[in-house]
Amino acid sequence: MRTPYLPYRATTLALCLFLALLSCAPSSEQAQEKVFRVNLGTEPPSLDWSLATDQVSFNVIVNLMVGLTEFDRNLRPAPMVAKSWEIHDNGRKIIFQLRDDVLWSDGKSVRAQDFEYSWKRLLNPSTASEYAYILYDILNAEPYNQGKITDSDLVGVRALDDWTLEVRLKHTAPYFLAITTFEVTYPQRRDIVEKNGTRWTDPSIIVTNGPFLLESWSHEDEIRLKANPGFFLGKPAIDRIEMVIVNENTTALAMYEQGQLDFIDNRSIPIFEKHRLIRQPGFRIVPQLRGYYYGFVTDRKPFDDVRVRKAFAMAIDRRIFPKILHGGEQPINSWIPPGMIGHNPEIGLPFNPSEARRLLTEAGYPNGKGFPEITLGYNTDETHKMVAEAIQSMWKQNLDVLVRLDNQEWKVYLNKLNNDPPHLFRLGWGADYPDPDNFMKLFTSTSGNNNTRWKNERYDELVERAARELDEQERVRLYNEAQRILCETDLPIISLFVTAETTVLNPRFTGLEFNSMARLMLRQVRLTEPTGANPS
Amino acid sequence: MRRLSHSLAVLWVVATLTFVLMRVTPGGPFDREQRLPPQVLANIAAKYHLDEPLISQYLRYMTGLIQGDLGPSYKYLDRTVRDIIISTLPVSALLGILALAFAVIVSFPAGLLAAYYHNSWTDRWCLFLATLGISLPNFILGGLLIWIFSLQLGWFQAGRWGTLSSIVLPTITLGSSAAAYLTYLLRSTLIDTLGADFIRTARAKGLKEIVVIFKHAMRNSISPLLTVLGPLLAALVTGSFVVEYVFAIPGMGRFFITAVTDRDYPMIMGVTLVYSTLLVSANLIVDLLYSVIDPRVKRH
Repeated sequence: MRTPYLPYRATTLALCLFLALLSCAPSSEQAQEKVFRVNLGTEPPSLDWSLATDQVSFNVIVNLMVGLTEFDRNLRPAPMVAKSWEIHDNGRKIIFQLRDDVLWSDGKSVRAQDFEYSWKRLLNPSTASEYAYILYDILNAEPYNQGKITDSDLVGVRALDDWTLEVRLKHTAPYFLAITTFEVTYPQRRDIVEKNGTRWTDPSIIVTNGPFLLESWSHEDEIRLKANPGFFLGKPAIDRIEMVIVNENTTALAMYEQGQLDFIDNRSIPIFEKHRLIRQPGFRIVPQLRGYYYGFVTDRKPFDDVRVRKAFAMAIDRRIFPKILHGGEQPINSWIPPGMIGHNPEIGLPFNPSEARRLLTEAGYPNGKGFPEITLGYNTDETHKMVAEAIQSMWKQNLDVLVRLDNQEWKVYLNKLNNDPPHLFRLGWGADYPDPDNFMKLFTSTSGNNNTRWKNERYDELVERAARELDEQERVRLYNEAQRILCETDLPIISLFVTAETTVLNPRFTGLEFNSMARLMLRQVRLTEPTGANPS
Repeated sequence: MRRLSHSLAVLWVVATLTFVLMRVTPGGPFDREQRLPPQVLANIAAKYHLDEPLISQYLRYMTGLIQGDLGPSYKYLDRTVRDIIISTLPVSALLGILALAFAVIVSFPAGLLAAYYHNSWTDRWCLFLATLGISLPNFILGGLLIWIFSLQLGWFQAGRWGTLSSIVLPTITLGSSAAAYLTYLLRSTLIDTLGADFIRTARAKGLKEIVVIFKHAMRNSISPLLTVLGPLLAALVTGSFVVEYVFAIPGMGRFFITAVTDRDYPMIMGVTLVYSTLLVSANLIVDLLYSVIDPRVKRH
């Protein structure tokens, strides 16, 4: 048999090409620069803080900018650009005094007018900001955003002079200072924004005032920041930050273990790897201000009966969640998460299967007999599936009721919750700012986010009073009573656990702050002292 | 000319169908876990003309399209759909072309050897590898290659794009099923052709084997491959969601999935139209090439 020689020549050629490619090793960085590399996970939808709404965008913005205040260790607002503030008129007027040494990256001073412009832009209906509502406590803010008034001078925020910002609220709002830590309230430069339209966040145009400057933005690929020598608290210890965009968490974890990343969080850690990473140096679990709950639809059978709701709640042993999810999830029976004022671990119904069975019998379903077919809905996701299956088996075991599970893609699921909700549904709730008001307001009868169809006048009253109360102890008292209604007597929801973020920081570095609002603050990151003494 | 107008009609149908389908799907671009207050939603609807009747939104989009304006992205607020496509399509295109080149370079010798040595061990090995290439899903092959060649051996980068080292593994992953498919196709076509009368005649005439294979057998077996090559190139060039995801490559492939889950209507229209245009053009070109390469096809 004759062998054609051409295929062999082709093969040799291919082999040579292959070997040539092999010899091209990735070039190593010779820089003396201190570089810190993280994974953002996904492309930030926007770096314009009047339009941004998601974690990823805020994680970039929080390193580019500073605002009136910032969180301290206890998640309270601490002075930043605002060096002090005075509260007048029973909390309805706040006067902020600004520092005069905070500079924009083009050298100009950050002034009160920049805050006034930014807040009015957030509220301007043509900006169509999703977070416009966060400033609705300000006088005339809501009518302005609705288009009912068109003169922005009527909105209750104005610069009295370059260093004084006056804010007038429509009612007392003890949580308003916490709102000033939120990225959407950062100042903006009117001249830059108006001149450049949607392009103003381009690295060559954007003007910022924070610890880092936006050096480059390669979409879907990588964002680079560099230290701002003009930052008012001093130039950061890290010269450059590389924020790569790697969606696939197994790839990102591989990159960390190969030394191509210096920090990873939940975005870069697959669930099944979490238990292995516990032994890594630099491992830390950070509880988040984010609750996970199952809601009952309370206006139809069988969950219109509070005894049935209590039975279902008391048949769940929450200790299982950290075991199956490996993420340091914290079981909780009450609603306000730890770290927020008003958190009270003594509130809530404990795991008590025999009491649960008794209640179910009393409600007319002895040993689960005659119980109608019900559905538990959740949006398609591995974690939600695991939680749902665990709870489904607990209810079968403890109440002898088999619940049907049903899941849809996220947007279809949200749509379904509005139009045709299942008997039980899964949702989460995260804090926009660390104040219990935005957690408790969720279940008032006027809340657009209350899918339980539960109404309780006393609960509404308590939450409203606590929102207008400046005295913290009184607020705690009011929230305690409200939480008792929510988590003990009426129980329209079953609060399950508080999520946590799994993080691993390369021990070469120290000073990284990943807080309970899931913000990645890199300002204080520095190389660990070689002697091993780490001021943490 | 007739072909061209047909192609444009196809594109118009695709655009209209996509427009209707995506509006009919439940769930909108601004549905959030924290439901937005009605006035905020009203402002957003006004900004994107979503409060207008559907027919005027359609006309607005189509007039924009003709002028090259693909609209804003509802998700990526600092960029337009055109910006996004212009920055991501070339990356996907490069990966797609490399993958196709890999597929061709591997499948031609493999298909040829398998067909020529029909039923021998060479044939069986080629078939085995081809079956493997087709049956292994991309994410498994990609993960396997990363694990072996990047993590264990350290020869190539685990992900990202831009250096020579980063090209190899994604190209192989993306190209492997195309290579397998082309191998199968070439092998079966060539087996048929090699058994034909005119080949026996050519050999009987005393022609060198090389001439028999390449001038006569291959040339007559090319058309099925060409038919397939057009759509294959279109599919590879617009990016594979899975490969780009696994290797963290900033290409266009991801938007086929994410634009839908985000309900980013202009983006959905944009990527669908790019894909359809490429597909339609590829088919047009292949049609024209037929008449050049295969003497049995008449030119119109």
